[in-house]
Amino acid sequence: MNATAKYAKNVWDGLKSSLVGMQITGKYLLQKPITVQYPLERLPIPNRYRGIHYLEQEKCINCLACARACPIDCIEMDAVRHGKELEWVSFTLDYQKCMFCELCVYPCPKDCIHMGTEFAFVSYDRSEFKHDLLSFKGMAREAKIRMLEAEEKKKRKEAAKAAGQEVADEPESDADAEAES
Amino acid sequence: MAQTAPDSKQGASPSMSLDEARVLPSGEREFMLDVRTQDMELNMGPQHPATHGVMRILLRVDGEIVTGAQPHLGYLHRCAEKIGENVEWLQYLPYTDRYDYLSSMNNNLGYSMAVEALMTGLEIPRRAQMLRIICAELNRIGSHLIAYGTYGLDIGAFTPFFYAFREREWMMALFEKICGARLTYSYIRIGGVFNDAPPGWLGEVERFCDVFEQKWVEYYDLLMENHIFVKRTADVGVISREMALDFGLTGPMLRGSGVDWDLRRDMPYSLYGEIWKDGAFKIPVARGEKGSLGDCWDRTWVRVMEMMESIKIVRWCLAHIEPGPIIGDVPKVLRVPTGEAYVGIENPRGELGHYVVSDGGKVAIRVRVRGPSFVNVAVTEALMTGTLLSDAVAIVGSTDVVIGETDR
Amino acid sequence: MLAVTETPLAAPAPVGDGNLVLDLLTGLRPESVPLWAVMATSALIAVGLAVALISLIAMFSTWMERKVAGHIQCRYGPMHVGWHGWLQPIADGVKLLLKEDIIPKGADKVLFVLSPAIVLASLLGAMAALALSPNFFFADIDLGVFFILAMTSTTTIGVVMAGWASNSKWSLYGSMREAAQVIAYEVPLGISLMVPLIVAGTFNLREASAAQGGWYGMHWFVFQNPFMLPAFLLFFTAVLAETKRAPFDLPESESELVSGFLTEYSGIRWSFFFMEEYAAMFLYSAVGAFFFFGGFESPFTWAVAQMAPHTIDLGETIGTLKLLGEGSLLHNLVAVATIVVKAFAGVFLMMWVRWSLPRIRIDQVMTLGYKYLTPLSMVCVLGAALFELAWIRFFGGAS
Repeated sequence: MNATAKYAKNVWDGLKSSLVGMQITGKYLLQKPITVQYPLERLPIPNRYRGIHYLEQEKCINCLACARACPIDCIEMDAVRHGKELEWVSFTLDYQKCMFCELCVYPCPKDCIHMGTEFAFVSYDRSEFKHDLLSFKGMAREAKIRMLEAEEKKKRKEAAKAAGQEVADEPESDADAEAES
Repeated sequence: MAQTAPDSKQGASPSMSLDEARVLPSGEREFMLDVRTQDMELNMGPQHPATHGVMRILLRVDGEIVTGAQPHLGYLHRCAEKIGENVEWLQYLPYTDRYDYLSSMNNNLGYSMAVEALMTGLEIPRRAQMLRIICAELNRIGSHLIAYGTYGLDIGAFTPFFYAFREREWMMALFEKICGARLTYSYIRIGGVFNDAPPGWLGEVERFCDVFEQKWVEYYDLLMENHIFVKRTADVGVISREMALDFGLTGPMLRGSGVDWDLRRDMPYSLYGEIWKDGAFKIPVARGEKGSLGDCWDRTWVRVMEMMESIKIVRWCLAHIEPGPIIGDVPKVLRVPTGEAYVGIENPRGELGHYVVSDGGKVAIRVRVRGPSFVNVAVTEALMTGTLLSDAVAIVGSTDVVIGETDR
Repeated sequence: MLAVTETPLAAPAPVGDGNLVLDLLTGLRPESVPLWAVMATSALIAVGLAVALISLIAMFSTWMERKVAGHIQCRYGPMHVGWHGWLQPIADGVKLLLKEDIIPKGADKVLFVLSPAIVLASLLGAMAALALSPNFFFADIDLGVFFILAMTSTTTIGVVMAGWASNSKWSLYGSMREAAQVIAYEVPLGISLMVPLIVAGTFNLREASAAQGGWYGMHWFVFQNPFMLPAFLLFFTAVLAETKRAPFDLPESESELVSGFLTEYSGIRWSFFFMEEYAAMFLYSAVGAFFFFGGFESPFTWAVAQMAPHTIDLGETIGTLKLLGEGSLLHNLVAVATIVVKAFAGVFLMMWVRWSLPRIRIDQVMTLGYKYLTPLSMVCVLGAALFELAWIRFFGGAS
């Protein structure tokens, strides 16, 4: 290609490709934007979204399986065991560490820890990111009733044992306890 | 540094010593009688718009001309490999998301396959393989979209970046539906995948492919064919075939220099061998269309063309996927048999290798990662010398470096 | 050359019998106030108007830029402050005013503070020559275009000063690039403007506009000469480079030089450079409109000018006010609207280009300026002149 043709081709290419580019951008200029105005309208969040955890506390048996599965040990739980019933002290998740990998959800034997669709967790204070998943502390009302009943039964049993009637009572009380639980 | 050439006496004035003649990168000598200039040292980064994160490049510049360049890494070092020796096999998976955060699916796949290589007798169900490939290829598209968009940004075109993100957003929404995360997926687990595709998901992937094929033409016209873009990238940062092999480049950087090498075909893993035999996809290799072979334009071209090939692979999988189990027989507490394994896969940036050593316990005794970005970024030093400052930016952009991976 | 064409101009439109503000003030002046005080007040009012005009233009342009960029990129742009964010520039302005004014430690304080002022002042000076309607203008300068070009290139001094004073390597790069770029592109800018100047035979904006009033207000210079359209393209490209707009935004080039000469500037000083950029875009677009696309002339302006004159009497001090017909209030208003719309169309075109194209490298900028635009604009001037001569030779009169 001689110099003049090259010169002309450069001018022509520059003009033409610029016009092609402007045609594409111009097309989108007239179309409706695809973004949404975030606080006013929100995109749907799929069910499987891995956001802030939630806990079905009644089901949880404080087995620490999720805490062990966590790669960064951000789950800590504490509960006092009264026989079969649990008195919850804390179940905290440190969201400064949590990387939302969902590894804690799968080992759960009772299927009670899940990841929710909530994601906006904002605070001016770092300590607030240590989030307690418990919906109530202490003992659930039903659990308390169950525990008291169980204790009563135990006392009765002991009283009966003391009275020397252990053979007749024992199978019955076992069946009761199973029915209740 | 001054060079003395036999004929240099003619041009120089008698009062001037030949040592004062400075040699420009173009080979010309510059004679300055009274003016003494000094090269300037310029820190490009760690906070700089063109370094794609926190890479620092120490430039020595003479005006607009770069006379020396030295990349400094390590600003994002997070001890990823050491962590691998301290957490359980499965627990390391979320960390693999985080070294090349633009292609987490591929990282998951690489690590899972390295561990699976040690677990003899573990069979990965076919549906899981298919889902793995669909996700990995969609992720490759997303990664190349970022490479394309940010390269446009480096060159000064803002709009392609937003168009690329528009499609990437859809891709991320797809991943959000299948695994719940948008960037750090942890989706591909040892033995398979951990969630089956939700109902209608595969259909949506198909629609994504249809729309993407239309938009791809726009990407090509808007940037790749643009005269200014061609002039900015063609013949800039030329990596010859030999140089590419010497530096150990992989991925689009290697294919951009005309070397026909792709692990998906040449060392097939997962179902890629079958897909290749079926003739479903091709390996785009640069031909030096707009300038000399191995320039920045070629590398970008390879990435842009690969997006289309990925779409073809995804389509093949969609056509062949069948219902079935999604995870093999993996125990809950994973104890990997004693041994060592290296598995390299084709990441969007090149060969991502995982080398794992097990002593039969719950924890690896060594995890080593061969990151493609880390190897590829080494070539910038050799390319930048003698170019203009703007070209230096173009060269860094064309390596498509992800700092999370170079530093790990 | 001009003598040959015998300036095919209609007589210039009757320019109001003097300065409107001055007339008003002189009319209202009590005997005790000296005449010079009135004149000074009138000048101050004019300066105030010009500053207000620049601010308004800059504010509207920033809003427009963000909306255009947003919609091109499939997003909305500002939406929350006012209807579709139209009050956003005011919010931004308040924010910029309230920001801490940082002068870097190693900076040359005097130059650092002075350079935004120089940039803005030189543009203010250039604005003075811009006529907004046949009877509304700040200064009627015979060498109007010449004056505008000279004043706007003075901004370069401010930019170079800013880059040097910032004591930052990136800023220095930006300012050096700006200097090189402006020197390279002044030439094609001036030469490509020669083409309409040959046809118009005047440097005065209002006279050039008046020369395009035929054909029901559509006798624009672009339609008068086949070399006019290429000349406009060259002019437009040179203007992009002069105003530091993409693809010639090398002085700022965000991805290379962080922010170029603006790197160390913040707050209100930064906004001065910003205002200058947008006002310069408007000014150059207006010049382009005057010399290629008819200036005040459009079918609407023509229609108003054809109306039967109608005047009302406003009393002794002010005199009569023309409402309809040529040179009337309505005519002026339509002319203002016409030129503003045309100028903003040019600004919009610049934005469209900016958000479509990548940036050019510095050596390519020089190549484009010296090897492409300059010779091509010379060819255009030669061709246009020959065409005019031929037209006169074969058809008589001007084209």
